[in-house]
Amino acid sequence: MKSIYRLLAILSLVFFLVGCGGAATPTDAPAEEEAPAEEEAPAEEEAAVEEEGVEEEPMEEEAATEEEASEEPAEAAAASGDGITLRWRTRPDNQAEIDVYQNVSDDISSAMEGVTLLYEPGGSETSSYQDVLKTEIAAGTAPDVFWIPGTDVADFATRGLIMDLRSMADATEGYSDDDFYPGPMEHLTFNPESGSSGEALWGLPRDVSTFALYLNLDLINEVGAPDPRELAANGNWNWDTFLEVASATRGLGSDIFGYGQNAWWGPYGYWINAAGGSFFSEDRTACALNTEESLAGLEFEQKLYTDFDVAVPYGEDSEPPFLAGKVAMFQNGRWATPGTRASADFNWDVVELPDGPAGPSNWLFWGAYVVNAKTEHPEEAWNLIQQLTTAETQGKIAELGANVPSRVSEEALDAFLNFTPPENNQAFLNGLANNPATEGPLWAGSWPEYDATMGPEVQAVLTGNKSIDDFAASICDEANKAFN
Amino acid sequence: MATVTATPGHQAQNTDAWLTIAVVWHALLCVASLGGTFWLWQTETIAGQSWLQTLLTVLLLLMAAASGLAAPLIIRRDHRGRVLSLVVNYLGFLVCFFGAWHVLGIFSGLNDLAGTFGRGIPFLFAVFIGYLVGAFGDRFEDNPAQQQLFQRIGRIIMLVAFVMFLFAIGLVQGLIAIAGRIDGPLPIALAVGSVLFATMIWVMWRQPAADAMNANNSHTEMLNGYLFLSPNLLGFLVFFAGPLLFSLYISFTDSDAFSTPNWVGFDNYADILNMSIAQLDAPNQPFSEVMDVSTYSEMTRFNFFGQNIVIGAEDRLFWLALRNTIVFVLVAVPLSVIPALFLSNLLNSKIPGMKFFRAVYFIPSIAAVVGIALIWQLLFNATIGYINYFIATGIEFTNQILGTAIADPQIRWLSDSRTALLSVIIIVAWQTMGFNTVLFLAGLQNIPKDLYEAATVDGAGSWAQFWRITLPMLAPTTFFVVTMTTIQAMQVFDHIFILMNPPAGPNNSTLSMVLYLYQKGFQRFEQGYASAIAWVLFIFIFALTFLRFQRERASAYEG
Repeated sequence: MKSIYRLLAILSLVFFLVGCGGAATPTDAPAEEEAPAEEEAPAEEEAAVEEEGVEEEPMEEEAATEEEASEEPAEAAAASGDGITLRWRTRPDNQAEIDVYQNVSDDISSAMEGVTLLYEPGGSETSSYQDVLKTEIAAGTAPDVFWIPGTDVADFATRGLIMDLRSMADATEGYSDDDFYPGPMEHLTFNPESGSSGEALWGLPRDVSTFALYLNLDLINEVGAPDPRELAANGNWNWDTFLEVASATRGLGSDIFGYGQNAWWGPYGYWINAAGGSFFSEDRTACALNTEESLAGLEFEQKLYTDFDVAVPYGEDSEPPFLAGKVAMFQNGRWATPGTRASADFNWDVVELPDGPAGPSNWLFWGAYVVNAKTEHPEEAWNLIQQLTTAETQGKIAELGANVPSRVSEEALDAFLNFTPPENNQAFLNGLANNPATEGPLWAGSWPEYDATMGPEVQAVLTGNKSIDDFAASICDEANKAFN
Repeated sequence: MATVTATPGHQAQNTDAWLTIAVVWHALLCVASLGGTFWLWQTETIAGQSWLQTLLTVLLLLMAAASGLAAPLIIRRDHRGRVLSLVVNYLGFLVCFFGAWHVLGIFSGLNDLAGTFGRGIPFLFAVFIGYLVGAFGDRFEDNPAQQQLFQRIGRIIMLVAFVMFLFAIGLVQGLIAIAGRIDGPLPIALAVGSVLFATMIWVMWRQPAADAMNANNSHTEMLNGYLFLSPNLLGFLVFFAGPLLFSLYISFTDSDAFSTPNWVGFDNYADILNMSIAQLDAPNQPFSEVMDVSTYSEMTRFNFFGQNIVIGAEDRLFWLALRNTIVFVLVAVPLSVIPALFLSNLLNSKIPGMKFFRAVYFIPSIAAVVGIALIWQLLFNATIGYINYFIATGIEFTNQILGTAIADPQIRWLSDSRTALLSVIIIVAWQTMGFNTVLFLAGLQNIPKDLYEAATVDGAGSWAQFWRITLPMLAPTTFFVVTMTTIQAMQVFDHIFILMNPPAGPNNSTLSMVLYLYQKGFQRFEQGYASAIAWVLFIFIFALTFLRFQRERASAYEG
């Protein structure tokens, strides 16, 4: 008998030691609950950040994150007995965002009778949010509701992975597509069979965002260059004045750069769009990268790296040098604000992107909450994504400063504008108002294929390894292969 | 005396009865398996999953055949019937038992226990305290009452704490929840199946049954051997060989992982390997004028004895990935092996503190790739990275001291297509070198010292000893190290995936075979195509390894 107790003690000691090692790992649902997704997903963010590869520092807290995020609801779910449990997932960037989403989940959970919500923050340094999500869908273990970037909607919809919510939306009192920004809704209501918008509903937009230039005011003031915010206010903020500020600040030293961007489609897309060009033809069924306007935009951008030499070398992550105070103007989306607030120890603000030859331009980035086509509770899932996109919920999330509400609502926008610094939050709203090109899925082809072809070719141009003429001669031959 | 002889007789009757039951059981199993096969081809439940249908059919037919064969063999008391019966029942038990676990959510529960384990740690600590209290009683051996009191208190503490631990981690609640799930026909059927199969294993395993079936010691030893081997063998078949064959099947389909795959034969392989060569009228003649750009992409153009040639490929990225991978292997393997060889010779010395250095060089091998890649990413940053900082500082210092005017190269390690792959090679070589060093060290320890002593007597210097003794004697180790490092290098993925942004690197300069496979399989979800790439890669690695083995064998014979 004594040996049994001794064995028990030794086992306990071993458990204890093992447990100490694993104490920092997630603690989720009790044993009787179905295991939440085991993955710790990706370094993905908004579509944008995914491409951009900004590695958000808070991801280090991933493990702790999931623990805090899902422990309580899991317990609640366990206690709920026969009630419906809905799992939902989004891709937060940091612990603060996770906490807000968790609170939102708890509030909605308590408001939805008979439904228990399990919130799963997705994302990790080593795997892609969408890759993991699709793999889980294929395995039948994906959440009921999840967020995806706007560019992926077509891919998910045409593969039959997400549910068309139109019939439920039509039967829902008070619901209107018009409550959201029209750009995302045009894509979210697109029916690929008829080729028309307004006939389907693949989800509701969680948030929107645009680019702005994050300014290091200390560098700009030091060199005595004009303040871009004043230039913008006076209507003089264009490519010439932009170049003037960039060149002046570049002169401060060999390790100081006037401008920085990251290597993904968003930043170079702006230069192409602002010159009057576009990635696609107007009906989005063919490549338009070889048009005169697109090439003009790309050529100007190329000169920023070669002839003018004002930019952080293309392909280098511009965020670390910007946060280190070595970049005067850093082009990035709203999602960069929390990181800048946390890390920048210089005076900074934001300004809208300069007007190009074709006038003001920007991107309207967005992502949407969608419903898993295999969910067992479509009605409840539809109800959930409505709850997740109310003005009240969006206001709570906008207070974090990482995104702009997707609902056209004063309440939500006020919450966004009151989040300072940056003082000039209006720059983002101006970007939304002034002719933004909506980030959009490619219904007539494969966006990942198109992006995989376009990215390296553009990079070759911007790094001086390929001439504009060579680019023009071949790019659309290759890129058009991405269309069906 | 009558009692003594009656017992074996009674036992023999019992055994015969059990063996009769086993015969009936296998007959039923045979009929049930055939019925199951028939049902499989009638039901709509797995319609459209032809691979699953085929697999289950094969398994059921095997089960039917084995059972059908076992029954008459058991009747004839042939020991092979016992073996067949044990195999069938063992596999049947595993399927039912783990099937029940799956259906009842026990695997998920175990997974969740890992998550809730932290809550129980204080109680585990209390269990340990209880043990210490009980052990403290041993100090009072001269006072049994006091000793027993301490031991009793210790036991109570341990028991209470352990029960609380089970509650805290949710195990008790989990077991109750699992018990509540045994209500549907499937869990009940699996549970009953587990019990029946286990019973039949017990029936056939018993020594009386073995004796009745004329099994001898060698049969028993064989069964014992396979029993101990079975966890590994089954694990290999289920988790390695099975997926491997499945991927081969998938490579002949257009599977996207979401919908029913269609058989496409060798189309995927043809698309991967399809190339075309054309002659150009002028070196800069557009590719679109000589080849169908809707099918081919330009890979390369060159001048061959005055003729301008262009090569196009249907999947240009595959060939690019193959080229990058080969370059990676050609550079990374020597950089991982040669320094390791010299380092191991240094570390083989008997000077004080050498064990510390051995550990230091080994550390990168056990460090997490994610952490390493992220740290190197910062080091390689062209604008604020330490590597460029030290290069710039060094050049500045040199210029000041020597009065030269060397320009700072400002290397864009990760964003320049000329250096991106080199950056990855540096990291991989740095990380792999430590492990290779340990392998070489082990090889060095096996070289007889008297060889060196004899060489010294003969007047051989250090270099000659290294060249004439160490290297030849290390040949088997070198072969192993080079082979393993090459295979690993051919599969480079994680370093690139984390380090580079985008992972394919500038102008696809870091696109490796496995990265391309991943992109195709898990980002664009062309799983059929990705499986075909995987098999091409497998054939490539296999051929390379086979050639190396052949060469090694030939040189061994020559030696």
